Amino acid sequence: METRSQIRARAFVKIWTAFVILAIYLPIICGALAGLSKGRYFGFPIRVFSTEWWGKTFASLEIQSLVQNSLLIAFIVTLVSVVFAFFGALAFARYDWRGRKLFQKAILLPVFFPQPVLGLALLLWFNALGINPSWQTAVVAHLVWIVPVVTLVIAIQVYSFDPTLEEAARDLGASRWFILREVTLPILWPGIWSGALFAFLLSWGNFPLSLYTAGVDSTIPKWLYSKMVAGYSPMVPALGTMSTLSAAAVLLVGGLAIALVRRRQADA
Amino acid sequence: MSLATISPTLPDTATKTDDAVLPATAPVLQLVGVRKIFGDFAAVDGINVDIKEGEFVTIVGPSGSGKTTLLRMLAGMESPSEGYITLRGELINDVPPDKRPTCLVFQSLALFPHKTVGENIEFPLKVRRMAAAERKARALELMRMVRLPEHYYAKNVMRCSGGEKQRVALARAFAYDPDVLFFDEPLSALDYKLKKVLEKELKDLHRESGKTFVYITHSLEEAMVMSDRVGVMSRGRLVQIGTPEEIYTKPATRFVAEFFGEVNSFEVRRDGQGGWILGDGQSITVAPTDEVIGDTATVIVRPETMRFVTGPSTAGNLITGRIYNEYSLGSRMQYQVHSGDRIYLVEAARAAVPGLSSGDSVTIGWDARDAIVVGG
Repeated sequence: METRSQIRARAFVKIWTAFVILAIYLPIICGALAGLSKGRYFGFPIRVFSTEWWGKTFASLEIQSLVQNSLLIAFIVTLVSVVFAFFGALAFARYDWRGRKLFQKAILLPVFFPQPVLGLALLLWFNALGINPSWQTAVVAHLVWIVPVVTLVIAIQVYSFDPTLEEAARDLGASRWFILREVTLPILWPGIWSGALFAFLLSWGNFPLSLYTAGVDSTIPKWLYSKMVAGYSPMVPALGTMSTLSAAAVLLVGGLAIALVRRRQADA
Repeated sequence: MSLATISPTLPDTATKTDDAVLPATAPVLQLVGVRKIFGDFAAVDGINVDIKEGEFVTIVGPSGSGKTTLLRMLAGMESPSEGYITLRGELINDVPPDKRPTCLVFQSLALFPHKTVGENIEFPLKVRRMAAAERKARALELMRMVRLPEHYYAKNVMRCSGGEKQRVALARAFAYDPDVLFFDEPLSALDYKLKKVLEKELKDLHRESGKTFVYITHSLEEAMVMSDRVGVMSRGRLVQIGTPEEIYTKPATRFVAEFFGEVNSFEVRRDGQGGWILGDGQSITVAPTDEVIGDTATVIVRPETMRFVTGPSTAGNLITGRIYNEYSLGSRMQYQVHSGDRIYLVEAARAAVPGLSSGDSVTIGWDARDAIVVGG
C-alpha cells in the first residue's frame, strides 16, 4: 500500500523532472524553430515556416570553411589531448610519486580559470612570442583547457584499474609494450573513449578561447556570436541547430560504440 | 620430503649422463640470509632455506609476518635488501619477474577481465609468439588438466565462478611452463567445501606435474593437507620448517604450537632435580627433548591428548577439576575444565565421552610423552 505522502512525493518528482526538462529544452527548441522561419528577422510567433535558410546555410561557402575549421581544430585537439591525458591520468591515479598531490591540484586549476581570461592571457603570450594567432594557436588554447578535463575523465577509469593485472602480465613474461597493448589499454579503453568524446565536444562548442586565439580564422561558435552581434539572419539558428545535432550524433555514435563492445565482451 | 627421496626407484640422472646435471636433490631455490627492509622495519629478517626440486613447500604465518614480502622477492617483484636468492645455482636477486622461470598465482588471481578463458590461458604463449592454432591446442590441453570443460574456452572469464576462476589462473600459470610456481593464498576467498576440493586437486596437480610449488597461507590446516614441508613464519623470521608431522608433534616454540589452534600451555620452571614444576609447585612430567632450554619453559599439551580418567590410570599427569562448559565440534566434543585458577581444554571423540555435563567433577590425565617442552 502506498501512503498519501509517498504518492505526493512521487507526484512532486514527476512534476519537477518535467519542469527541468522543459526549462532545458524549450529554449533550444525555440532556437531550432527560429532557423525554420521564412522571415529575415528574429521574432515569435513564426508566421511562415520554410527550409530556405537551412538550404542557404548548407550552400554557403563561408560556412563550409567554418565547419572545416571547427572540425580540424576538434580532431587535432581530441588526438593530442587523449595522448597527453592518458599518460597524465596514469600519473594522476595509478602511480605514487613525489609531487603527485601537487600535480593533482595543478592540473585542476585551468579548469576553474575563467575561459575569457585564459584566452586573453594566451593571446598576450602568443603576441609576446611573436606568433600570429590562427586556428593553430586556437588548438593550443583549447588544449590548455581540455587536457585537464580529459585527464580527469580518464583518471576515473584508472582508479578502478587493478595494478596487479600488470604485475601478473609481467610475471608471465610480457614486456612493457606488450602489457600496454594487451592489458592496460584494452581495460582503460572505455575511459579513453569517453575522454575523446569529451575532448571533441568541448572543442567543437568552445567560444571564448577561439574568440581570442583563432585570429582571422573563424569557427562555428565564433561566427554565431559575431552574426548575433551584427548581421543576423535565420542562418544563425539554423547553423546552431545543425551544430547541436552533429554534437548529439557524435555522442550517440560514441555511446553506441561503448555499449556494443561491452555487450560483445559480456556475451562471450 | 622431496619426490626423489620418497621414490627410491627414480633414476638418478646425474650418473647416466656425461653432462654435469645437478643431482635430483639439489635445491632448485636457495635463500641465504634474505632480508627486506622498508624504512627502519625489517619485513623479512634473515631467511635461510633450501627448496628441493619438485617439493611442495608452504610458508604459514599470521598477517604481517612477512610471508607475502618473501614470496614477492622470490617472484621478482621486490628485491632483497640483503642476502642471496639463487635459482638452480644462479643468483636471481635482481632478475625481473618477466626474465625468471617462475610464476605467481596471485591472491586476487589477477585474471584479465577483458579476455576470455582461452585468451587468459594463452597469454604467456602469445607473449612467446606461438601460432594461434598451436596456442589453442595447448590451452585446451591445460583446461583438461585443471578440469575445465572445453566449451569454457570462449567464455568471458568474469562470468566464471570462484572455483572456475581458480582453475583458469592455475592453467595460465602452467601455460608459462615455469620451473617453480608460487601461490599467494589463492584459495582464501573460497567457501570451505570448495577450498577442501581444490586443496586436494592442487596436491594432485603438484604430483602429476612434478613442478616445485611454494605456497603461502595463514591457514595451517591448508598447509598440512598439501605440503611436503611447512615453514612457520613470525615477525619476518622462519621459526620452524619441517614436515607437517614434525611441526605438529615437535613444535619448536610456543608460537608454532599455538598457531595450530587451541592448546593447553603451562609456564614451568626447573625443580632442580631434572624435572619441571608449575607455578604453584605441582610437578609435571614431560617428554624428553634434545633442545637446549633455559630454567623456565612452556609445556604444551594438545586438547586431544588429554583424557578423562575414571579409576586407576597410567597417565603421567593427573589433575582434578570441574567442567565449566562444553562445546560441540561436530564429531568431537571439547570441554573446558577449571582446576584452581587454571583452565584446561580436553577434546574427545563424541562416542568416547561418558555423559558428562557442566558442573561435574572430573579427573583429567595425559601422558608424559604428550607434554612437549618448548623454550619461551
